[in-house]
Amino acid sequence: MADHLSDEQYKSAVSAVWKATIILGVVTVVEVIAALILGPKLPKVLMNSFYALASFAKAFFIVGEFMHLKYEKRAFMISLGVPLVFLVWAIIAFASEGQSWFLMNHPK
Amino acid sequence: MAEVLEIQEEHHFDPLTLPNNGEGGEESPMKISYGKTMMWYFLLSDAFTFSAFLIAYAAIRISQPWWPNPNSVFKGFPGFGPEANLPLGFVSVMTFVLILSSVAVVRAVQEGHRMNKKGVMIWMFFGILGGVAFLGCQAWEWNNLIHEGLRPFYNPFGPDANGLTHLVEEHQQWSPGPVAFGALFFGITGFHGFHVFTGVLLNVWGFVATSMGVFHRRGHYEMIEKLGLYWHFVDLVWVFVFLAFYLM
Repeated sequence: MADHLSDEQYKSAVSAVWKATIILGVVTVVEVIAALILGPKLPKVLMNSFYALASFAKAFFIVGEFMHLKYEKRAFMISLGVPLVFLVWAIIAFASEGQSWFLMNHPK
Repeated sequence: MAEVLEIQEEHHFDPLTLPNNGEGGEESPMKISYGKTMMWYFLLSDAFTFSAFLIAYAAIRISQPWWPNPNSVFKGFPGFGPEANLPLGFVSVMTFVLILSSVAVVRAVQEGHRMNKKGVMIWMFFGILGGVAFLGCQAWEWNNLIHEGLRPFYNPFGPDANGLTHLVEEHQQWSPGPVAFGALFFGITGFHGFHVFTGVLLNVWGFVATSMGVFHRRGHYEMIEKLGLYWHFVDLVWVFVFLAFYLM
């Protein structure tokens, strides 16, 4: 059951983890600096899309590298990914619902 | 009768040692152990719980004419007193603490693959330390916001923090800011903090079991991998809590 690693596999796995750490750190720093410097100047929609994209990039690194999903079977990845498609519906449905509450309370 | 018994014998089903009779079962199709599979599917269900909270947050936030600006709400920093103005400073520290703690547990899993008991213990120790540090940071932040008057049903962060006074005059409410802000903040960061707390307890157990040589005798450190999956999930959720409350 335990898949023991050879010296070479071990070394490359360790360096892959440190690389992922540096990427996560850099993305977070860029997000915070952008929020402080560009945030007040640029349109909110643009900034929010940037934050969301950066966060999803971070999520992929955590799931792929730290949680090791990148190295699992494709069928297993799909079995975890497909149910999450429901969230696409939920985000669209509830965002438009929120918009509709706003319009009900603030009729033009 | 003897024939029936023979057939039963042949199709005897033991879930632990499946017979190699050409009907499948001799090989795991996903090439992943039962324990790790179940941890993954638990985390998938937990992801739906957190998504439901964050999507509710989004819907309520969109329904409001304005929302407290995170740069003016989250600007405290320990040691700088109540006048501190370091927007996102402290929460960035918290994010790094959690990322580094996650990395420490990844290293523990790798040392486990090498059957290096001492390595597992060292890295698990750093992982636990990071988790405790994160909880301490969160306690400080909650304390700071409660001192500023934030409650689950009262939000002191009024429009003057955003320069949006004109929007609220027409719509005076008993709470200066959107009331739901406090409940959503304490609810969602609290639920995440509860996961961190549980993770720390589980990791402490993993550390103790490792030090007692339980996994070494078993011949593999898969338990550390399962604890690691849960721990990284906590880090993963924080990425989205950070996005929803502090960046957007």
